[in-house]
Amino acid sequence: MEIIGDDKKLRALFSEAKTADAAATPGFTSVWHRAQARSVKPRRAFNLSFALVAALLVLMLGSLAVWSYSTGRVRRYEAAKNKSTPAVVTPAPANNPEKAKTDDEPKVAAAVPETGIATPVHRAVRPRVKRSTAQSAAEMIASNGKTKAEKTTIDSWQSPTAALLTSPADGLFKSLPQLNANESDMKSFLPGRSNDKEK
Amino acid sequence: VKIDPMEIADFKAELERLHSASFGWALSCCRRDATEAEEVLQTVYLKIFEGKAQFRGESSLKTWLFAVIRKTAATEYRRRLLRSFRLTADTDEVDDRVSPFESQSESFERSEAQTHFQGALKELPRRQREALHLVFYEDLSLREAADVMGVSIGSARQHYERGKKKLRESLTRLEMGYGNNWGRQETPSAV
Repeated sequence: MEIIGDDKKLRALFSEAKTADAAATPGFTSVWHRAQARSVKPRRAFNLSFALVAALLVLMLGSLAVWSYSTGRVRRYEAAKNKSTPAVVTPAPANNPEKAKTDDEPKVAAAVPETGIATPVHRAVRPRVKRSTAQSAAEMIASNGKTKAEKTTIDSWQSPTAALLTSPADGLFKSLPQLNANESDMKSFLPGRSNDKEK
Repeated sequence: VKIDPMEIADFKAELERLHSASFGWALSCCRRDATEAEEVLQTVYLKIFEGKAQFRGESSLKTWLFAVIRKTAATEYRRRLLRSFRLTADTDEVDDRVSPFESQSESFERSEAQTHFQGALKELPRRQREALHLVFYEDLSLREAADVMGVSIGSARQHYERGKKKLRESLTRLEMGYGNNWGRQETPSAV
């Protein structure tokens, strides 16, 4: 590089600074040895702390994984236990207009054999999205399945106002002659007879 | 990963040869702070010793070493800055620390012209100061200076030219006695 003009003066200033710096330069050996000393101590300490932190982290993650697995397992077991209760299913009526719908919908309850005997079945696991779309139809099928059980309950059902239907004069209504009653009993109810007797 | 001891021995001889120049460059990168420059140089040697900085022969050894020093100095500076923000105690330490070049006794020893010159040099932007230092102090070509600075040669030339212009202006302002000459502009063939 050719230096001309005022660059020479700049160079002179720089070389003067260089000379001053050279006098203050620390010895190479001392700097090198200090660098070597630094290479041993801090790294060992760092490795030890790093290993400790890593071990703690692994331990925490492991315990978390075990805990989550165990709780999840218990939940799954509980859910499976609830689902495994037998579902009473009766065949849908032959002329049921909703039967056509059930063919397209997901089958919540298993098909009933031709003998008509309901068998306990587990509910099929369906994706959450599909379940929402077929929810109404599934409820309908479930209601069909419950028909038999409902029959028994309807027979014994009484309305809350049933007590109002009873009155002290109930015996009078119940004393009406029966069709298959004998003649003497029938005559007692005839008004002419009573009038004749009165006469 | 540690490199071969034989390579380390060869490197050590080369590093010893370049040690004085390396310290000068570290000083420039650390804003003339000798303690910081020495720490940076130690870190650089440590990087070489541990194989973190490896010379692949893509440039000259001096250029590569200077680039490592520059990068290390920048990293150390950032680290020091963060530490000073975090702990006030550290800030006090930094403030209390007396650099040999900042001490009054040494300032008196240095010539008045040199003091003004260092002051003017500190006023320059970092890139311009680096370009001037590498060219005038380390006798590197602009291409080598560009390699060290990690910029293109055109960019290095621009930093060099602008740095020179600003330095002249500063020196003129300070009336160092060169004032009559600094005004004359000449374009040197730097490369």
